[in-house]
Amino acid sequence: MKKILLLILMILSLSACSNATVEENDSSANTESSDEATSYLFAMDTIMSLTAYGEGADAALASVTGAIENLESAVSVTDENSDIYKLNASSSAPIEVADDTAEIISRTLDICASTNGALDITIYPVMQEWGFTNYEYKVPSYNVLQDLLRYVDYNKVTVDGNTVTLENGVAIDLGSVTKGYTGDMAAEILEDAGIESAVLSLGGNVRLIGSKPNGEDWKVGVQHPLDDSVYMAILEVSDKSVITSGGYNRYFEEDGQTYWHIINPYTGYPANSGVISATIIGEDGLMCDALSTATFVMGINKSFDYWRSRQDFDMILITENKNIYITSGIADNFTLLPDYAEEYKIEVVS
Amino acid sequence: MRFIKTTRFWIFVFVGVLIFSAIAMFFFGSTATGSVAVITLDGEVIDTIDLSAVTNPYSFTVYTDDGDYNIINVEKGKICVCEANCPDQVCVNKGYITNSASPIVCLPNKLIIAIEPDGDDSVADIVTG
Repeated sequence: MKKILLLILMILSLSACSNATVEENDSSANTESSDEATSYLFAMDTIMSLTAYGEGADAALASVTGAIENLESAVSVTDENSDIYKLNASSSAPIEVADDTAEIISRTLDICASTNGALDITIYPVMQEWGFTNYEYKVPSYNVLQDLLRYVDYNKVTVDGNTVTLENGVAIDLGSVTKGYTGDMAAEILEDAGIESAVLSLGGNVRLIGSKPNGEDWKVGVQHPLDDSVYMAILEVSDKSVITSGGYNRYFEEDGQTYWHIINPYTGYPANSGVISATIIGEDGLMCDALSTATFVMGINKSFDYWRSRQDFDMILITENKNIYITSGIADNFTLLPDYAEEYKIEVVS
Repeated sequence: MRFIKTTRFWIFVFVGVLIFSAIAMFFFGSTATGSVAVITLDGEVIDTIDLSAVTNPYSFTVYTDDGDYNIINVEKGKICVCEANCPDQVCVNKGYITNSASPIVCLPNKLIIAIEPDGDDSVADIVTG
């Protein structure tokens, strides 16, 4: 009898032990609980991860997901029902577009103008010729590029309320700014839902809502421009967009030469300014997204002149000479990881 | 007398099992904070692997509803997609990942393999790039 009792006790103790282990595994696997929710989303030709903290996080993320899908159907360059597809097929006829589309185009045109066309949303026909839009990469002939560059000019786009007109032969793509705009839209939805802490990565474009649940700044890793498996620096920041353009995001190699997807709108060839990674930190996500591309094209001197003329954002520019230029506003929040401290030199610009 | 002896024997076994459980829990408890890979297919978590607890390398295949596939290799501390039928092969070219800096993403097959950050203070919450 005692034998049986002891056996039962033993089995109980074993099962209690294994239960504990299972629960522990479950809790590490589960990304959703009452106060933290994470969603993954495939949209805008990339992967987005959205994590929100606080009561109602799950429902708030569901609204964000819906809004992102709606926005994508308006601004996608390949969806035949999108505003952008209609515009690119319009042969100079005026097209009525959604509010979001009109706002994105109009605000982006301002940045195209202020950067003297270092950012140009009419670069799309050139991007197509390089194959960056459909992954069928090729180096175009010089003459074809010169011919296409005649249609690359943001002044050939006019916005009047919700009516947008493209001159004949002009085609646009909002890929260089949409994710930044999306981050701001998502932040607004989450804040309206009472979420005070969230971190969004829209294909590497980071949007921070508030600070971490414990009140500390978020630690944003800045990807190494030459090795995408590591980050080389940490930036501590809250409530802002942090958006990086790097040559490593989309590129191909031919005859030993690397061709990346950030095209200089003046030449039609990949930007060759010496900057290999441009990170913009600011409150306006669309602006950060637009300027990460523009500064990649403009290079160090023009970018810092531009920054001095505005000072409503911060930046981290990494060059092929292994210099890291950072603006004074974030100097105290920027830490280069020890592994890279010897190889890379930091210069604070003010 | 014989009865007491058997009882003692069982008490020894019982205590032995308790000690063994305690040791096992200690080890599992400590490795659970290590590198955990979360595999997501079209937004659903389909598998969670504690890479630090892998003793023998193995591989398995993940199929999408459309019949597309990614073959995943798991080794101690690292994970990769070694073969896939996606057109761009970005996931395969990524090679092994060992940390949370940058996940493996197969856009065509909507597969993500991400290693969860382990809560270390010097580790980033998110990466821009």
